[in-house]
Amino acid sequence: MSKRFVLLSLVGVVITTTGCSEMGVKAWERETLAQQEMSLINEPVESSLNDHVYFSKEASSGGQGFGGGGCGCN
Amino acid sequence: MAFVQHSTPKLMQKLTIEASLNPNQHAAPELWSEGAPCYRIQFECMASDCSMLVESHRVDLVIEAAKKAIIEAWRIENTFSRYQSDNTFAVIHSQPNVRQTLNQETAQLMLFAHHAHQVSGGLFDITSGILRQAWRFNGSDKVPSQEQIQALLVYVGWEKLGWSPQHPDQLCLPQGMELDFGGIGKEYAVDKMLKLFLSIFGDVPVAVLINGGGDIACSGPRLNGQGWRVGIESLAADHTSDQVISLSSGALATSGDSRRFLLKSGVRYSHVLNPLTGWPVENAPRSVTVAAPNCVNAGILATLSLLQGNHADAFLKSLAVPHWIHPTNT
Amino acid sequence: MAVAVTNTMKKNHELAKILAAASCALVGGLSTAHAEESWDVDSAFLLYSESDGRVSAAEPVISATRNYDSETSLNFKLVADTLTGASPNGATPSDQVQTFTSPSGNGSYSAAAGEQPLDDTFRDTRVALSSNWAAPINRDWAYGVGGYVSKEHDYQSLGVSSSLSRYLNQKNTTLTLGLGASSDTINPEGGVPTGLFQVPEDASSSEFTQRNDSESKSIMDAVFGITQVVNRNTIMQFNYSINTSSGYLTDPYKILSVIDDDSTGNNYGGNYTVNNRNVYLYEKRPDSRLKQSLYWQTKHQFENNDILDVSYRYMFDDWGVTSHTVDAKYRFRFNNQYLEPQLRWYTQSKADFYSRYLDSSAYTEVDFASADYRLGDLDTYTIGLRYGYQFADETEFYTRFSLYHQESSGDDGYGKLTSQELYPGLDAAMLMVGYKF
Repeated sequence: MSKRFVLLSLVGVVITTTGCSEMGVKAWERETLAQQEMSLINEPVESSLNDHVYFSKEASSGGQGFGGGGCGCN
Repeated sequence: MAFVQHSTPKLMQKLTIEASLNPNQHAAPELWSEGAPCYRIQFECMASDCSMLVESHRVDLVIEAAKKAIIEAWRIENTFSRYQSDNTFAVIHSQPNVRQTLNQETAQLMLFAHHAHQVSGGLFDITSGILRQAWRFNGSDKVPSQEQIQALLVYVGWEKLGWSPQHPDQLCLPQGMELDFGGIGKEYAVDKMLKLFLSIFGDVPVAVLINGGGDIACSGPRLNGQGWRVGIESLAADHTSDQVISLSSGALATSGDSRRFLLKSGVRYSHVLNPLTGWPVENAPRSVTVAAPNCVNAGILATLSLLQGNHADAFLKSLAVPHWIHPTNT
Repeated sequence: MAVAVTNTMKKNHELAKILAAASCALVGGLSTAHAEESWDVDSAFLLYSESDGRVSAAEPVISATRNYDSETSLNFKLVADTLTGASPNGATPSDQVQTFTSPSGNGSYSAAAGEQPLDDTFRDTRVALSSNWAAPINRDWAYGVGGYVSKEHDYQSLGVSSSLSRYLNQKNTTLTLGLGASSDTINPEGGVPTGLFQVPEDASSSEFTQRNDSESKSIMDAVFGITQVVNRNTIMQFNYSINTSSGYLTDPYKILSVIDDDSTGNNYGGNYTVNNRNVYLYEKRPDSRLKQSLYWQTKHQFENNDILDVSYRYMFDDWGVTSHTVDAKYRFRFNNQYLEPQLRWYTQSKADFYSRYLDSSAYTEVDFASADYRLGDLDTYTIGLRYGYQFADETEFYTRFSLYHQESSGDDGYGKLTSQELYPGLDAAMLMVGYKF
């Protein structure tokens, strides 16, 4: 029994270290990722307010989404 | 329980549901035509074969509504399953002895469990699930020792929870205790499915009956004004006492299971456990079917009546609810 | 044991009534976690205030999203902002009192000796409305479309956007192509000044009378993104985006000082004068700009449910600006509260035509020039803290306080100019309060 355990865990290690092509999760492993807090822009209102401040104070904009505009502030 | 059908069903399509909404990897639901405008959708949920019977001239809405309803049932199944490591059930039990905030859905279920506990004088108790660790109803004669039962009863008792109906979303779960929503989960899912299904149709005429593995809810009579014909199977092998009833509103739920019992020294112990004693209820009927306005209501009445043992019939009669009882003796 | 049975029939009727009511409450209640076609509203108010009485702004936002199912949603957002205060006009400080013509040409304002020249006529109100619709096409594809309109007294913008996403590898990889276009109109107070032309004394000058009322610019955006689920706790995004602007990209209210660079005279490093008037020029920027950026973001949730969100952006453009931005947030999550410290660092190199001032011997020969510090060498830092409290009914109150610091740098000039502070820093405080319901 313990022998089998060791073998299994070795296989597991091999998969995780060679496993770039194995990136990703199964549909039923999305509990965490499905949380609203885990979306890439989880606070859109805060992001848009920040983007607006930075757009009007710096020479760069965009990147995460569109480059912004629509404002005479820059 | 079975439906009485008289047509040649034809498989129209399998309904594709995104894998992320099918966490327990059920087979794809099947849409069958029973001759327009009747459709039947077969799907799996909570270890049961489930189905929906729909009458509508809008097959597009039938598909959309059926998908939404099935996704909801699978969501509820997955949320309260005792066999997941990261669902609502697991999260609640991973935080014993601390005050935690329940989501709104769980808080509502707790409120319902509270009312059922109150009115049943403590006989209905969702903390009693762990008694099954001692009682295994597999037809064997293995009766647990009183010490075993006493040891488990320490962790049974609704009033031991740090919870009050004034703040239904605040819970402190003592270490070792367990909340088992399984007793109301299926009925709850059936009612939620019906509600969601009908919301898709809005004002468009539709008649639907949802069968969640024997727990049934319908939207009302069929489009032709007649009731749905629902068969209540007898437990006898030859189905001699099968009854066909006409359901034109509300819901049916059945409690009891002929296959789950313990036989010891000539005493047949049903799988219905009294949370106050830790022992099975004596002389409980094999199964009880109750009709009520919604499935959760029918289910709780059926469960409570089983807990009355041989007074089940009298209990249900006093409530004046339609019911069908399969007595203890076969 | 069978308690209920011993009770009266009346008592059992009571029981039936309670259970019927309780089951109705359970089933009929708003209790599903399922987003059943409701509006989710996020409303917030931002107060922005710069030190030394420069710009302050109040900005209310309301965003409403209707979720039809997990992938279909409609969003409307309304933003208003009111700005007041003073903003640097681009001129250098001087050892003399300086007087500037106001943008409209109908007045003037001045800066004391050694003081930063600030245009205190700066005042604006903006209202912007945007809307976005996102929906699946089928199980492998999804799309989004949006529109945007904003209005200020001297600026209008109209924009559209669209995106197309392809899910691959069981939705572990998402490829997204986004396209956006906007058309803006600028109608500055007093008309559109002539770039690199000397600021006249007042509106009676022919420079004023020949002005156009308005100018326009158009912007095109394209974003190509890859989102990859790394494991059950980690998600990563990589974007390449390109943004082109063309048309009138100049700031009509910004000017440059011309500095006397005759090292033999006694005004070396002072304001260059012609006919006893200091020479200031309207700034002028190229009429096109191509920006490109690479953006990387990773979000990871730890075993204790805390979430780390880190991003990096590299941007470069054909004006010679390159910038690096690092943004990090860490959300400590408690039962129904969270605390999120935030840090952001930004650095940019100046645009080729950026010049803090122009030399008197060469100012007539430049093609483009701007003294806008936002196009100069600049480092900025933001430190912030966000706190949120989630109520039992799934509404949320949140607040965020942050401090923003800017440091400019560049050439220190010569002669008298060296004693002036050419690159003042800027500090601003931001307070945001919001409620989601």
